[in-house]
Amino acid sequence: MGVEVDTKEFKLKPMKCEFNFLSKSDGSAILSQGETVTLVSVNGPLDIKMQSQSIEKSTLEVLFCTKGGKPSVADRYKESIIKQTCETAILGSLYPRSGITVTIQELEDYGGLLSCALNCTCLALLNSGLAMRFVFAAVSCAVDELGNIVLEPTQEQATSARALLNFVFESRNKNLLTGFSEGSYSESAYEEALERCRAASDLVFTFYRDIISKYSNVI
Amino acid sequence: MKASVGDVVLPGDYCEEISAVGEKAKVIIGPGLQKEIDHVYVTKAGILKKRNPNTYWVDNYQKRYIPARGENVIGVVVQKAGDIFRVDVGSSITAALSYLSFEGATKKNKPDVQIGDVVYAKMLVASKDMEPELVCVDSHGKKGRMGVLSDGFVFKCSLNLIRKILNPNCPLLESLKNEWPFELAAGMNGRIWIKANTMRETIALGNAILGAEYLSDEEIKSMCTNIATILAGHVS
Amino acid sequence: MAEIYKLIHPVKYFNDYISRNVRPDGRQFHEHRNIKLNVNSIKASEASGVVKCGNTTVICGIKLELATPKAEEPDSGFLVTNVELLPLCSSKFRPGPPSDYAQVVSNIVTDIVMNSECINLKDLCIVYDKLAWVLYCDIVCIDNDGGLIDACVMALISSLKTLTLPNVTYDPETEDIKVDITKRSPLKVNGLPVATSFAIFPFFEKSILLTDPSAYEEDMCGGNGANLIVCWNKGFLCGTQKFGGSTLSMEDEKQALKIAKQRTKLVEKLIETCIDNESK
Repeated sequence: MGVEVDTKEFKLKPMKCEFNFLSKSDGSAILSQGETVTLVSVNGPLDIKMQSQSIEKSTLEVLFCTKGGKPSVADRYKESIIKQTCETAILGSLYPRSGITVTIQELEDYGGLLSCALNCTCLALLNSGLAMRFVFAAVSCAVDELGNIVLEPTQEQATSARALLNFVFESRNKNLLTGFSEGSYSESAYEEALERCRAASDLVFTFYRDIISKYSNVI
Repeated sequence: MKASVGDVVLPGDYCEEISAVGEKAKVIIGPGLQKEIDHVYVTKAGILKKRNPNTYWVDNYQKRYIPARGENVIGVVVQKAGDIFRVDVGSSITAALSYLSFEGATKKNKPDVQIGDVVYAKMLVASKDMEPELVCVDSHGKKGRMGVLSDGFVFKCSLNLIRKILNPNCPLLESLKNEWPFELAAGMNGRIWIKANTMRETIALGNAILGAEYLSDEEIKSMCTNIATILAGHVS
Repeated sequence: MAEIYKLIHPVKYFNDYISRNVRPDGRQFHEHRNIKLNVNSIKASEASGVVKCGNTTVICGIKLELATPKAEEPDSGFLVTNVELLPLCSSKFRPGPPSDYAQVVSNIVTDIVMNSECINLKDLCIVYDKLAWVLYCDIVCIDNDGGLIDACVMALISSLKTLTLPNVTYDPETEDIKVDITKRSPLKVNGLPVATSFAIFPFFEKSILLTDPSAYEEDMCGGNGANLIVCWNKGFLCGTQKFGGSTLSMEDEKQALKIAKQRTKLVEKLIETCIDNESK
């Protein structure tokens, strides 16, 4: 098993990104990972209601809009994941008594929606010029019936899998920032998945750097 | 990841070069950099730049203005409150502009500023914990070029574009001013005020500035001549 | 004096405790609070459980109803879990529709129970495509002092363990339903999922894991509720959630899994003893 892991190449779905997709927001990005597409707009720091202001850090508001448009309890959960991830990444203490709004619009969902949304959020934050502690990369993987680990599963692989694991890593020490899972799995599968995703997160960080250098060179 | 001057950097990268220089001499770390315990970390995505001696910053793309002391900005008066005007400069909260901070203004002799007027002013106080404060006079009490901007046309752009056109090496304004006469004020908050003789010229000027955002110096020059020929009516 | 210090320098106050390897309430970093469990205390519901982890108090009641199964899954019943966070349990909550946090907690608890596959929904079906049980599991938090998910899962599982379903006879011709409440059969519960919460406190370059955090510790570590929730069931993981707070290194991760495993054994024993005592 160990040999197999070493020789296997880490391949993620092809990623495409465009900055400033929306002209009126402070930062926006559209990202496609394979067939899954999300659009994120970031606004801030903004003036917000007195009662929601915090004197220590900026108040973060995350809105997740599904394609269907009807809000559900599962969307609140997704918002909570994205919000808490961003809260750690953004240096909110530089913008006290102000608000930052992040709006995520799902455009196409062919598996891995939430990790695509997280990566897109990170790109939109980079575009908005808000100060951040680090960048983050989300990688998803599936554990199939035999206990094998499939990085970035397709929708068919995801539905037949025993478990789906999602990890978000930060860029400084590649430590785990956020993680969430579906299904049940063994401890060894979990640890292997974590290491595989940690290694694969490098590809996402390289992608971020490529995009930024592409845009920085023309300015 | 380790970064050095001239690299494309992402938040979370650290620069050992700055820490090393900092041990011997005084270093100024500008926007996009932050000191944390013993490392200097990047907080914004862009290109790490250096100016001698020992000033470092990250040149990043940004649209939203964060007030900074000493910058000249263009704002719109939105409210008169007691003895201050509230000015919208595009930051999270409005900036305060005392009516005594105009040239020659006294308690009796109030300046003639109405709601909706565009003012060109300097940031006097800009702290994250305080309301930003503007002034329309310099330290000698002279207005210089600051004050109410009458007529003309204001438009918004990214903060990078302002820095680009105000750069002495940028050929844009050099080329344009040879083509037709105009007045221009650029605020560091991403707002530009322009005034030309005709509507046609104003629009041409605005388009030339906005079009220069992603162009190189050579391309800017050819674009300016291009616009001038169209404006002169040689090409329809 | 300490109270004033806490008010003026909240972060420094907390740091001072951590640097002396102790938590503000006197516990060690990996010590969890005492757990008290009582089952079948609400006689009006079919099954119930009250859990107290330190100050955190959660009560769960299960109500039974009969319904027609969904057309897409004609052989499954329903398990509906809902967590209510009333203004009673903490000053953070306001009266009115469920807050975002209550919805998130509900979602996590439902996910844990579903992912652990401890209840087979097919067991809840009585007649294919005609009749199935609906288990309404209402969990109400009475006092929220951190580690809410742990308490909710524990209350829910211990209630499910004691639940007995009455016998139902269905006449396909007359569509007549007869419920015999005197004859009851227990619900099959496969395994015993147990959640363990951690808060992760950034302490200089390291991060410190705090097992079973109190509400105050959760607040100090940032984020909404606990930062890391590890859920074990029969030696398998059935949910690892990490949100906000400080980042988690590999060693801390392994340690958290180990602590959670130990605590799971303890909680399993507790639930089993409690149910045994009750049935005697």
